[in-house]
Amino acid sequence: MDWTLIAFFVLAMVAIGGALYMLNLYKVVHMVVALAFTFFGLAGIYVLLEAEFIAFAQIMVYSGAITILMIYGIMMTRHDAEDIPIRRPVHTLFAVAGVGGLFVFLLYGIMTTPWQTPADKPLAENNVKELGLALFNKYVIPFELAAMMLLAALVGAVVLARREVED
Amino acid sequence: MTAYIWLIPVLPLLVFLFLIGFGSRLKQAAGYLASLAVAVSFVLSLYVLAEQWMMAGSFVRQVSWLTAGETTFSVGLEVNRLNALMLGIVSFVSLLVHIYSLGYMQGDERYGTYFAYLALFTFSMLGLVLSPNLLQTYIFWELVGLSSFLLIGFWYFKPEAREAAKKAFLMTRVGDVALFAGMILLFWQVGSFQFSEIFAAVDAGKIPSGMVTLTAILIFIGAMGKSGQFPLHTWLPDAMEGPTPVSALIHAATMVAAGVYLVARTYPLFEASETALLVVAAVGGFTAIFAASIGLVQTDIKRVLAYSTVSQLGYMMLALGAAGYTAAVFHLGTHAFFKALLFLAAGAVIHALHTQDIREMGGLWRKMPLTGWVFLIGALAISGIPPFAGYFSKEEILLATWESGHPFLFWLALAAVFFTSFYMFRLYFMVFAGAPQKEGLIRPIGREMSVPMIILAILSVVAGWVNTPWSHGLASWLSADQLTTSYAAPAFNGWITVLSVLLALGGIGLAFLMYYREALSPARLADRFSAVYQVLLNKYWIDELYRVTVVWLAVQMGRLLQWIDRWIISGLVALAGMLAAGVGRLGAGLQTGQVQTAHLVSVVGLVVLLLILTLGGVWL
Amino acid sequence: MVNLASYLSIAAILFCLGLFGVLTKRNAVIVLLSIELMLNAVNLNLVAFSKYGLFPGLDGQVFTLFSLTVAAAEASVGLAILIALFRNRGTAEVNEMDLMKR
Repeated sequence: MDWTLIAFFVLAMVAIGGALYMLNLYKVVHMVVALAFTFFGLAGIYVLLEAEFIAFAQIMVYSGAITILMIYGIMMTRHDAEDIPIRRPVHTLFAVAGVGGLFVFLLYGIMTTPWQTPADKPLAENNVKELGLALFNKYVIPFELAAMMLLAALVGAVVLARREVED
Repeated sequence: MTAYIWLIPVLPLLVFLFLIGFGSRLKQAAGYLASLAVAVSFVLSLYVLAEQWMMAGSFVRQVSWLTAGETTFSVGLEVNRLNALMLGIVSFVSLLVHIYSLGYMQGDERYGTYFAYLALFTFSMLGLVLSPNLLQTYIFWELVGLSSFLLIGFWYFKPEAREAAKKAFLMTRVGDVALFAGMILLFWQVGSFQFSEIFAAVDAGKIPSGMVTLTAILIFIGAMGKSGQFPLHTWLPDAMEGPTPVSALIHAATMVAAGVYLVARTYPLFEASETALLVVAAVGGFTAIFAASIGLVQTDIKRVLAYSTVSQLGYMMLALGAAGYTAAVFHLGTHAFFKALLFLAAGAVIHALHTQDIREMGGLWRKMPLTGWVFLIGALAISGIPPFAGYFSKEEILLATWESGHPFLFWLALAAVFFTSFYMFRLYFMVFAGAPQKEGLIRPIGREMSVPMIILAILSVVAGWVNTPWSHGLASWLSADQLTTSYAAPAFNGWITVLSVLLALGGIGLAFLMYYREALSPARLADRFSAVYQVLLNKYWIDELYRVTVVWLAVQMGRLLQWIDRWIISGLVALAGMLAAGVGRLGAGLQTGQVQTAHLVSVVGLVVLLLILTLGGVWL
Repeated sequence: MVNLASYLSIAAILFCLGLFGVLTKRNAVIVLLSIELMLNAVNLNLVAFSKYGLFPGLDGQVFTLFSLTVAAAEASVGLAILIALFRNRGTAEVNEMDLMKR
């Protein structure tokens, strides 16, 4: 009994199920909650992939911050909104066709590429420590740039969303 | 001198081109310019005629025009005796009509255009007679038809004039098609359009006799159209809607004579086929009687003259068919003079009284003595009274028919003599004699109008003396051309002369009794023979017959074609337009302004790109 | 046995579902959410390659970290724009915003 396999399937179901629910529910708030489930599922999959830090970062950032952010957005726009799709048959048809086609291509590529399975050597015992070492030695410049980008985003968001000053 | 012959037709052409552009600005000067050009052409033509009279040779000058494969078509001019005579007649009558028009068309708004059209016609006719091959003849033939159309419909604001112009053009077109067919057949047989080559081929017997007959008859049908022979005659009386000088020039003296000229020009073709000659003679003879009978009862002065023209042309065709080549050409010349004279005199009467109905005229002898005299001279000439010109030419024709071996033609011709003199003098007495039926102001005619009439009157007297039964001057000169293979001057037959003159006098006498003395009342005669009278008055209902058959057919075909054009062809065009608009509308559907539409387009584009790459064999 | 292809398939599924949401949903917040879903799928791809790919190592995870960061920043700025737009137009629906219509 390979527990990893069972775990993988369960987590995969949660992730994909959350996405599907998101697309098919009506109330916007429900949709956000469904997506939160997807984020949790993905975090689990990261753990299976021996990326524990990423898993926790995912939970903190995505299911935590971004989900709450989206709910804020909903509350500030129309919190009782429903997303009943309007009838746009041509558009929907093309959307399904396009997305379906893309999916077929991706699967085709995935299935027919001869992936090599290298020896299953463990990545690192101490994922956080290794990640920190890589981040501050090899990737320090992108790290700093990312920090500055976050600052810019912060300032930008504040400027964009504030009310106009009534003169 | 030969270097200047090309000027004869070209001068009027230049005048035409000039007047088309500047005629409206020149006003009076347009007429003088045109007359001057024609006068110069006339002088040159006289010179050519004199040359031909003295010397013997005929010559051809031509340049090659276009080459198709191995055959070369050329244009040029040819001068022989027949040509030279025609040149003289055409340019002279044209000059006189030009001078007459200076007075007649005075005050007309489109004075300059009128002279431009007259110049175009003169150019076309002169070019026609100078042509050395059938192709060029056909080109000028069509040009003459066009000028006739323009001039008949000159007063285009009159619906009858428009209709008459259309009718003339379409009816002569029927003849033209036959002429074209004959031309092509000849070209096919002989390999060239040149008259000299065609005649040589005929002489050498290279063309099968059935083909010779066929082409001759086809060419004759073309001549029938232009010369108004039955059954293509109905356009000529309607063509009287044009100005009277036009009627004099085109529909009396020159254009209608083009048909006779064509047959004369291609005479070796006819001589080689007995059948063709018989057809020509029969049609001509029938037309002569037929038209004369209609002319007996018409009441419009110009129409009587028009039917008279048709009848006289039938005479000429009759002569040609009876192998009287020179008789026909002789009559062509004399007829040009006295018929033009009669038309110009009629024009003077119309100009003075503003009416064309002879029932409203009468007693003009006292008020317009000059016109009365010249009209009388013309009437005597056409009736064939010696010593006027018409007598000599009719004599030749009668002699030719007598010797032709078809006596019934002779009796036809003789009957026509009686009819001719009768209707002519009926006209004369009703217009000039008796009491005036309508009172009114008489507009005097100017010298421009009277002088040409006087000149023509003089010619109507003396023109016949060039070829009397005693000295066949014109005949022997004309036939010394290689054009006719054999010519034997008909022997003078005294009793024919006596018979014809008696008949002519009889006709005059009958007209005198009926219309001057009123001894026999025309109205009572009309009542007694009312059926005959109605048939004649309605012109045998030929026009009506054409309207319900040919015209109806043409109109139906026109409607069908119009339907096709409107629904099918225009439908296709509209379809193309709608297609383009539809495609455009489809494309515009992409521009909804919504982000998702643009995004969708890019996703679909990506998928399509991947598809192409996969199927194209490039996959990373 | 779970191999690379399975993880990649999940990522592909999530990506396509997210794309469908972007193309079809009316509410702008949901569109932004779908974009986040797509970014998540990409992250999954990166982490999977980091473990099972040709050169197993930590680089994929570092990349993922940065992708996470950018996604968060982008979500916040996007939402700020949406709120400003909502204040202007009174509606948060994507298909109502068609000023660039033909």
